[in-house]
Amino acid sequence: MRSEIGGDIAIQFENVSKHYSLSLQKEATDIKSMLLHLPRFLSNARRPFVALDQVNLRVRRGESLGIIGPNGSGKSTTLRVMSGITPPTSGKVTINGRVSAMLELGSGFHPQITGRENAILNAVLLGLTLREARAILPRIIEFSELGDFIDQPMRTYSSGMFFRLGFSVAVHVDPEVLLIDEVLAVGDAQFQSKCMDHIHRLRANGVTMVLVTHDMLNLPKFCDRGILIEHGRITDEGTPAQVVHNYLARVEALLALRPAEQQELKVAQVATS
Amino acid sequence: MSRAVSDRVRTEADVIRCGAKTACQDGGVGINRQVRRSWDLLYLLTFRELKLRYQDTIFGFLWSLIRPLLQGAVMFVVLRKFIRINVEDYHLVLLAGLFPWTWFQTSLLLAVGSFAGNGALIKKVYFPRFVLPLATVLNNGVQYALSIPVLVILLVIGGYAPNWTWIIGIPYLLLVEAVLIMGIVLFIASLDVYFRDLEHLTDVFVGLIWFYLTPVIYPLSIVPEKYHNWVLLNPMASLIEGWRSLFLHNQLPGAEMAPALIFAVAIAALGSLSFNKMQGGFADAL
Repeated sequence: MRSEIGGDIAIQFENVSKHYSLSLQKEATDIKSMLLHLPRFLSNARRPFVALDQVNLRVRRGESLGIIGPNGSGKSTTLRVMSGITPPTSGKVTINGRVSAMLELGSGFHPQITGRENAILNAVLLGLTLREARAILPRIIEFSELGDFIDQPMRTYSSGMFFRLGFSVAVHVDPEVLLIDEVLAVGDAQFQSKCMDHIHRLRANGVTMVLVTHDMLNLPKFCDRGILIEHGRITDEGTPAQVVHNYLARVEALLALRPAEQQELKVAQVATS
Repeated sequence: MSRAVSDRVRTEADVIRCGAKTACQDGGVGINRQVRRSWDLLYLLTFRELKLRYQDTIFGFLWSLIRPLLQGAVMFVVLRKFIRINVEDYHLVLLAGLFPWTWFQTSLLLAVGSFAGNGALIKKVYFPRFVLPLATVLNNGVQYALSIPVLVILLVIGGYAPNWTWIIGIPYLLLVEAVLIMGIVLFIASLDVYFRDLEHLTDVFVGLIWFYLTPVIYPLSIVPEKYHNWVLLNPMASLIEGWRSLFLHNQLPGAEMAPALIFAVAIAALGSLSFNKMQGGFADAL
């Protein structure tokens, strides 16, 4: 299989849909409740939930894309599909470059082993080989500012220390495409600004980024382009400032309405989508 | 990108991944890199599990030996002294079967939930997931391998001398048993994501049924001849008997290993097929 996209495209979605089947959810997974609710179980069996609906998307190499949208609109699903964690139900996804996904910091960290051991395992989980992970470890440790704590079991860490190590590993695995889901606000103010600096440095080095965030104020600082996702569809696209402005204006307008009118608007939105 | 490689192609959905620095500059490197990383992960996870299991314990690794030895001692007293099973060197017959069986049983029990129990990780990081159950198998395999010297010491005390056939036989049987266990755990751990009953089913089936139908606490020789063919349909029977004849009779495994060999290859194929088929849905089902 050969992809047809040009070398300047890092990520391409063509008509990508992701459906979740509600029958997989915990409703009737044991025999008793299945038998008790047999008619409902059968009728519910194949009701799909559309998380992404025919999404078309291109991210250029070196571009930084910001994704905003309400909770449950499909932002995180987009990142999961990009990272390979979950396959799309239909459509075509093309990724050029090694992906590192920061969907959660410190995934797989084990409290009983040291920060050093966890950092190595985490780096290999995120995409490095063991040799590369060992080579890069000093830089990870230095960036995390953990000092002697690096050789302590991670159960002794404060949550700030935990996330600092998680962040340090994630940004040092040398990704070509970096996916970030709401994980930039870690540690104290000093460390946060260091993280921001590092993200800017990665951008300057040509790392492609896709960033999901609710931090509307900072979005324009990190992104070249913004998109708004609602109900699994891209409903707005443009400069980050513009997309944020449009979205916030609509949210404010929605908040200004009386509850009954809000309800009507929601119904109308669901109907049109 | 003309040199793109595809990871997986589905009927409806198409996902193409291409590491520009790694995969695309040289068609083969990307694949090699994935294989390299899988080995590294297996190694790291195997030893993390080993370390975690005995961390902060006084006897540490000795527990790996104490448990099967104690179990063996109790069984010896009950079966040899009380029930008076009439087998020469029964303690050696017993341990030569019990140690490799423990590897099998412990691996299955611990690995069956290794996808279902690692939902948080599977939903947040994309990595070769098959390493999770396989690391458990390897970890228990290492423990079995380390218990072999204990068995050898007991054999020497019992008047058996180490033999050159062991040098070929031990790695060979280790390999067959590893492939067999890995095939089973890949299959049941994948299925377990969708049917959690499998964890209980495995516990019941392996601990209560399979254990007694396999010549672990008794040698095949005391089973009446007319049942032999039935007993040997069980792949674990020929495998355990294989270990036993190697250590007690210096016999290299031959044709009688066929059930275990065929089963190992078949279940490894079934395990990897079903894992490949099901793993795409793991993140959604967990």
